[in-house]
Formats: sequence, C-alpha cells, structure tokens
Amino acid sequence: MKLAIAGKGGSGKTSISGTMARLLARRGHRVLAIDADSNPNLALTLGIPSERMSEVPTLPRDLLRRTEHGVQLTKSIEEICESHSLSGPDGVTLLVMAHPQHAGTG
Amino acid sequence: MHATVRSVIETASSADGEVCILDTEASPEHLSRGTAKYADTMLAIVEPYFKSLETGRRMAVLAEDLGLERVALVANKIRDEHDLGAVKEFAEQHGLELAGVVPFDEQMPAAERAGQAPLDFAPEAAAINAIDDLAARLMEGNGRA
Repeated sequence: MKLAIAGKGGSGKTSISGTMARLLARRGHRVLAIDADSNPNLALTLGIPSERMSEVPTLPRDLLRRTEHGVQLTKSIEEICESHSLSGPDGVTLLVMAHPQHAGTG
Repeated sequence: MHATVRSVIETASSADGEVCILDTEASPEHLSRGTAKYADTMLAIVEPYFKSLETGRRMAVLAEDLGLERVALVANKIRDEHDLGAVKEFAEQHGLELAGVVPFDEQMPAAERAGQAPLDFAPEAAAINAIDDLAARLMEGNGRA
C-alpha cells in the first residue's frame, strides 16, 4: 500500500503518520515513511531524535533525469534509502525529502 | 522537490506486506503538482471545524483528480457526538468517505511537549488505539483492490 496523509497544518497529520507507520511495522509490515513536508517533523513523531537528522546528507538535487518515458530517478529507491534514510523504532525506515535548513528550495 | 517526491512514491515498492507512508505538505498546493499521484490511498486528516474540513475536502478533490484509488477523510481531535456529527454531515454532503475517527486526546499534545513519539509517551492512549484500528482496517481494505 502507498498511503499519502494530508491535512491542514495542526490537523495532526504528522502525529497520525508517524504513529501509524510504527503500528503497521509492529503488525509485521515493512514500512518506509517519507517526510515530504518542507518543515519536516515526522522523525519526532516516529521517535527518532532530531540530532540524528544530521547523520544523513540532504538529498541531491539531480536525482531526476528526463527520458523518453518521462521523468525518472537516476538511482533506485534502495540506493537512495541506503545513503539517505534513517532507521527508526520498530524498524521503520525514514526518508526525509527536505531538511529544515533547505526548506523552501523547491 | 515535488517531482522528486512523486518519482520516489512511483518507484516505492507496493509488494504485499510493504507500506509506504507519505507525510505531505500542509498546503493543498503540492497535490496540484501531483506529489501524491502514485499513491493508491490518500487520507485527509480533518478537525471538526469548517476551515479544516474545507481544506480536507479540497485535498480530497485534488487527489481524486489525480486518479487515486481511494480517498477518504479521517476525523481527528473529536471531543464528543457533536464534533463527530459535524464531520459526518460534512462528509455526507460532499460524498466523501469517512475512514476513521480519532478522539481528542490530551496525551498527543503532551507527547509533543515532551519531545517524544506519542507511541512511546502514551502507548495506551485512546488516540493511539483509534489509529491502530484505522491501520488494521486500511490493510484489510487494501486486499479488495
């Protein structure tokens, strides 16, 4: 399942996303949590200390290439996760799309 | 960033037992750029007041336009029957599915103030139970597609 969680700021979408990610992992699913908010807070609700964010480099900006089949990633998602994701409680993998210091860049 | 998010979701595995959860941006604008295009389900989290419900509705419409298989509202911070009634009425009026109801729970903001994950701070909280129910039902429903 690929589940997008949306909502107005303050609606609780991040608390629900993080909590649900861990609960699904406890139910035996392999869970990849992606923080696509330009003000990323998913790590906190997953229980990953914010200091650990500095363990992973910001995603490079040249991850996409245009091909005849449309826009594609230049690396596989496994490769991206290997170098850019964090492992959290209950085995949830967290991928942060935009680090706070780079917010608003696109 | 939007195009990258879209491509990452596109290539994420949707094999049996694998789940990809995308915490999206708070503004509906990203949806018009197609960030969630390759998700199969979108849940719009709404609180029981008009502005929140209206934002959720707009997000749901955009997600439906993107062609997602299932788009639904989840009511959050519900204090009583009156709150629940307001969300149910809104959902019905606009032909939207209400996939889950999470009660107002003081433990959630308390966890945030303590800088902890809600699941570590208050594992027995009513809101956590409601989210767990929702997770279980989503995975069951997933088999039907």
